[in-house]
Amino acid sequence: MSAHIRPVSPVFVVLVCLAFCSRLSSMKAASICTNGQTGCHFISLANLFDRVIQHSARMHGISNDLHSEFELYFLPSKNQIGRVSHNCHTSTILTPNGKENAQRIAREELTEVILKLLVAWRDPLWHFHQDMAQHHEFNNFSSNKSLEMSDMVHELRKGVQKVVEKMQMLGIISTSIGNLGTPEALLASNSAEWRLMNDYDLLYCFRRDSNKIQHYLKILKCRIVPENGC
Amino acid sequence: MMRTHLSLAMLCVMSAAGVCSSTSAPGRPSLLGCRSPEKETFFCWWEPGSDGGLPTEYRLFYMRENLRGVHECPDYVSAGKNSCFFDKGHTSIWAEYNLRVVATNALGNASSDFLINDVMKYVKPYPPVNVTVLANSSTPSPYLQIQWKSPPNVDVKSGWVTANYELRIKQNGKEWKNVETGAQNVLNLYSVDPGASYMVQVRCKLDHGNWSEWSNPTFAKIPKHGQIEIPFWILVFAFALIPLLATISILVLKRKLLKQWFLPPIPGPMIRGVDIQLFKSGRPEDVVNALIGNQNYPPMMPWTDQVEEYLLVSDSDAWQLTDPYTFHKKKENLIIGLHLESEIQHRESAPGQNAWEKAEESKEETVDLEISNVSQSKSSLSNMEPTKLLIEEQGCPSTKKTLTLTNVIQPLANTSYVDFQQRENFWDNSPTQAEYSRVKEVNGETILILNKEKILPGSDVQEQEVNGEVNAPDDYSRVKEVNNDLLLLQKHDSADSYCKKKEDHYTEWTSQRPTTPSEGEHSKGLCSEMVESGYVNSVPGFSDK
Repeated sequence: MSAHIRPVSPVFVVLVCLAFCSRLSSMKAASICTNGQTGCHFISLANLFDRVIQHSARMHGISNDLHSEFELYFLPSKNQIGRVSHNCHTSTILTPNGKENAQRIAREELTEVILKLLVAWRDPLWHFHQDMAQHHEFNNFSSNKSLEMSDMVHELRKGVQKVVEKMQMLGIISTSIGNLGTPEALLASNSAEWRLMNDYDLLYCFRRDSNKIQHYLKILKCRIVPENGC
Repeated sequence: MMRTHLSLAMLCVMSAAGVCSSTSAPGRPSLLGCRSPEKETFFCWWEPGSDGGLPTEYRLFYMRENLRGVHECPDYVSAGKNSCFFDKGHTSIWAEYNLRVVATNALGNASSDFLINDVMKYVKPYPPVNVTVLANSSTPSPYLQIQWKSPPNVDVKSGWVTANYELRIKQNGKEWKNVETGAQNVLNLYSVDPGASYMVQVRCKLDHGNWSEWSNPTFAKIPKHGQIEIPFWILVFAFALIPLLATISILVLKRKLLKQWFLPPIPGPMIRGVDIQLFKSGRPEDVVNALIGNQNYPPMMPWTDQVEEYLLVSDSDAWQLTDPYTFHKKKENLIIGLHLESEIQHRESAPGQNAWEKAEESKEETVDLEISNVSQSKSSLSNMEPTKLLIEEQGCPSTKKTLTLTNVIQPLANTSYVDFQQRENFWDNSPTQAEYSRVKEVNGETILILNKEKILPGSDVQEQEVNGEVNAPDDYSRVKEVNNDLLLLQKHDSADSYCKKKEDHYTEWTSQRPTTPSEGEHSKGLCSEMVESGYVNSVPGFSDK
C-alpha cells in the first residue's frame, strides 16, 4: 500500500506546489500592480472605487470626531448671527452643491474637483498636525487622529489618481485631466490663504470638504460602474 | 368725597380698558428645529409665542452662505403649519443657513434666529415602508421572512445616500431584540418559536445622520409545529407500516424455507443402517445392535469359486486424490468380491458380512469424505485402539465368530472408510502399476503401516504367493504382502484355518521383519484382521518388506 502511494505523493506535492506558486505569483503581481504600474487589470474598477470610497468615509469620520472634540474645548460662538462663512481656503474651488449638480456635471469635471480638494488639503493638515503635536494641551488621542488624517489625505489622493489612471486606460474619461501631480501650481495659489485659518475653522472646513469628497466619489462610482451598492 | 369717586372712576375705566384691550406685540416665536428627510430638501418649524391678542403673521427669512441678500421662505405650506419647506432648488447641502422667524401683528413684531451650520446634522429620514413579515413554516425550521422598502424619495441608486437599517422584534411577553441589517432590505429570522406571535419594527439611517422613527408594528404568528404536519406523518407512518408487516408475515410463514436458504443444513456423518442413538446409550448390546441390528445377512454359501480376489489395502495419498469416479468403479468390483466372500462366510457371520457390506455401501456415500480423511490425517487411524482390543480378546474361535465379526466390524466402523478406499484403489489399479502409500502406525494394537512405495499389481500377488510368505489355505482372506507396500488380502473360507495360518504368518512375518518393533504388533493385529469377512483391511497397515 505504501509502495503504491509513494510514486503518487511526489506528483501530488508538485501539483500542490504549482498551484500555490501560481497563486503566490499572482498575488505578487497584485502588489506590484498597485505600486503604480499600469497595465494590470485584475483589480476591477468597481473594486478600486470601493476602496477609495471606504477610505474617504473613514477620513470623514476622523475629521468629524476631531471637530466635535474641538467644539468641546473651544465652544466657539455657535448660532452666532453674522458668522455665515468660515473662510475656507477651498471656497475658491467650485463644487457642486447638491446631488443634481453633481450628477449634471461631466465626469472629468467631477474627478477634477475631487483631486483639487485633495491636493488643497495636504499641506494644511500636515501643518495642523505639527501644531497639535506642539501644543500639549491636546491629548494624544487628538494628536494621533490629526496625524492619521494627514496621512489619509495623502493616500486618498494617490488612490484617486490610480482610479483616474484606470479610467483613462479604460477609455471611460478623456485624458484631459492631465496630471494633477503638479500640485505646486495649486499650492502656490492657496499657500497664503490656509495659514490664515485658525484651527477650529480648519477643522470645520476640512470636515465639510471630506464630506464632499466622499459624496462625489460615490456619485462618480455609481455613474461609471453601477454594479453593487448603487 | 369727590376725590374718592374720581379715583374709583379712573380705576374702573382703567380696569375696563385693561379687560377690553389685551392686545400687544407678539411674543417671540421659538424655532424648534429643522429636518432633512433625504439629504436633498429640508424644512424647519417653529412654535409661535404669544400672539398678543391680535392676528399675528409669521414669516421666515434666511441668509445663506455664498448667497447674497436675505431671502424669504419659499414654501410655508408643504411642511405644515408654522413651518418652512426648502425644496431641492433652495437647498444647498454644504452651505450654512441663517434663519429668522418674525412674528408680526398690529402692535409690533418679534423674531428669533436659528443657525444651521450643516444641513447634514439634521438629516433624519422617514421610517421604512412596506414592512412585510411572513411566517415560513418549512419543516426543518420555521422562520420569519421580513422585508421592507427604503423610505420614499431616498435616492440610494445614485449613491448619494447609503441607507442602513435596523430591525427590532418582540415576542409576546418577551423583550425587544434588535438586529442591524446594514444596507439589506430583507432578513430571515430563524430564532423563532413555533406557535408564538411576533411584532416587528424597522427604522433606517442615512450615512451618519439620525435614525428615523420606528415603522408601524407588523404582526406575524408562526404556526404551531406539526399542526399541518401531523396528519402527513400519520399517513407516512401508516404507509410504511404495511410493507413492514408484510415482510414480517412472510418471514414468519416461510421461516423454514428461509432457514434452509440462509443456513443450509450440513449433512452430518451418517452410517446407513446404524442408529446413532444406540451408540449414545453406551451399552455394549446397544452398540452391537446399532451396528448389526436389523441386518439380514445373506446365507452363507460355500466358497466354490477358486477365484481369488485380492483386496489391496494400501493407504496412498496419490490414490485418494484420484477422481472419485474410479473409486466408484472400484467399489463395484469390490462389491462383487465381497459378495463372493460373503458366500463363504458362515451364517453367524452373515450379519457381520452384511454389516460390512452395508458399511461398504455407506462408505460409498462418503467416499469423498474418506479420501480426505485419509489423506489428511493419518494419525486419526491411530484411534483404532479401542476396537482392536476387542478383536484380540476374541481370538479366532469360530463360536465367537459373530463377535469377532462385530469386532471386526467395529474397527471397520472406525477405519472402514480408509480400508475401503484402499481396497478400491487396489482393485481398480490392478492392471496398472500404481503407487500406494500406506499408513504406518506404531500404536498399541493398531497395525497400520503406511509406506510409499511402488506396488506391483496383481502379478505381485502371485509372486507373494510364490514367495510363500503366506501359505494361505482356502477360504480365508489374509493379508498378503507384496514387494513393498502393497497389501494383498486373499479371501478364503474358514476363518479358523485362517487363524491358524495366521499364526504361522505371525511367526513368519515377525521373523521377516525383526527390525521394527511394531511388527510384533503387526502379528497381533493380523489375526484379528484376518477374519473371514476379509476385513483385514480394517488394519490397513500391514507391514511388508
